[in-house]
Amino acid sequence: MIRLHRVCKLFQGGPMKLPALNDVSFTVDKGEFVVLSGASGAGKTTLLRLLYADEQASEGDIEVAGFNVTNLRRSEIPHLRRSLGIVFQDAKLLAGRTVFENIAFVLRVLGAARHEITPKAFQALKAVGLSTRAQAYPAQLSQGEAQRVALARAIVKSPALLLADEPTGNLDEEMAGEIIDLIKDIWSRGTTVLFATHQSRLAAQLKRRTLRLDSGVLTKDEG
Amino acid sequence: MSEALVDLRRAGRVGVSAVLLITLSLTALGGFWLLSLNLGRAVVQWRDRVRVVVFLKDEPTPSALADLTSRVEGLDGVHRVRYVSKAEALSSLRQSLGAQSGVVDHLPRNPLPASLEVTPAEGATTPEATRALAAKLAAFPETEEVQGGAEWVEGLARWQRLFQVVALAVGAVLALAAILTVTTATTLVLHARRAETEVMRLVGASESVVRVPQLLQGMVQGLLGAVVALGLLEVAYAVGAPRLEPLLQLTLGLARAVFLSLPQILLLIAGGAILGGLGGLLARGRAVA
Repeated sequence: MIRLHRVCKLFQGGPMKLPALNDVSFTVDKGEFVVLSGASGAGKTTLLRLLYADEQASEGDIEVAGFNVTNLRRSEIPHLRRSLGIVFQDAKLLAGRTVFENIAFVLRVLGAARHEITPKAFQALKAVGLSTRAQAYPAQLSQGEAQRVALARAIVKSPALLLADEPTGNLDEEMAGEIIDLIKDIWSRGTTVLFATHQSRLAAQLKRRTLRLDSGVLTKDEG
Repeated sequence: MSEALVDLRRAGRVGVSAVLLITLSLTALGGFWLLSLNLGRAVVQWRDRVRVVVFLKDEPTPSALADLTSRVEGLDGVHRVRYVSKAEALSSLRQSLGAQSGVVDHLPRNPLPASLEVTPAEGATTPEATRALAAKLAAFPETEEVQGGAEWVEGLARWQRLFQVVALAVGAVLALAAILTVTTATTLVLHARRAETEVMRLVGASESVVRVPQLLQGMVQGLLGAVVALGLLEVAYAVGAPRLEPLLQLTLGLARAVFLSLPQILLLIAGGAILGGLGGLLARGRAVA
């Protein structure tokens, strides 16, 4: 599902080029649940951004969901992203739209048939336990609820791979537990998951294969 | 389309300014177009009326006239030759003098010469062609004097071309301003909906789905501007044409001023949509950058 081979990412920092990722190689098979751990600034977000082609690698090869991301043309990026679900620490919900509209918006912009939108959106909301909050606006939601809506939005298009970038970073332990349970549930239905977190205790609790990044270098791959 | 209309509402005053600027540029363009169109009609009409008149030394005998006419008709660029006898010339003078025609009766003899009225062929009404024809006619032994030509018609044509150039220049400057205003309006909207655009891109919406609302928003502004401009032109024509027509008749010989034809109206509307669409596309470029 994911293959990185000797990937480097350099960012321009004044006259110098600073390495954000250095010679990173790993693979994630279809159906795996992999935790990407590391302190803040270790390069987790950069790595995820490379995976969904928001950044280009300076060196190395990247393959995601059958796409050769290294040589991906700009016009092919949407095709890659359609096979991915992405959630962030910040839920990135559209403030002017209801929970239902936030989900339906994705289906609409992806060209889903009109008659499919409502049942699919409600199905996704049901999967995250929020079908009763469909008409609420993001401002009326708790952080945990907002993150669950973000998850519903990510899975509504049935992605092959879920990229979760610190989805529990803003949540208390209880809410974080709920989100992790939901992500595990999504994984159990066949979606490959790459879960990034800076919380090493959480990473340990998950008891899954863990990739550890330290200052852009992959220092651990075990589990 | 509904997204585009919502976006236009979001653009507020800047959106209205963009519509007004498109209106202004298309009104100026359309106004000059109307002037040029009517001048062009006058030019065509006067080109049809170009004549070269050959005044003869003596009134020819019928056989000499037949010979002369056939020689003139044989020249390149001659469409038709009409003989005007001394008597016919006097009668025309009498007619044009109207109430004062009595003056003619006091003349001791008919002072007007016989003449040949030569109509140049189509394509031979340019100043160069008529000058060349006049030179050939002046060389005939029967010729006393040659008059006429196309200089002043060409002067009119020059004015028409000047109007076209001015129309294009003024239109281009205003169009540029309109495009920039639409760009600004659309950029503001893009800024307001950047969260939406970000989500669209993250979930894999195609670029066309992301960009089409911007393009449509610009086109809607352009169409609105074009329709208002056409309305203004129509009102100006309805009010101005009846007042200007006597002057046009007197100076240019045009019985009536015409308005833009349906294809020209459609072209102006399409021009508005293109201006607006261009503004929308440029905004996209700036937002992406």
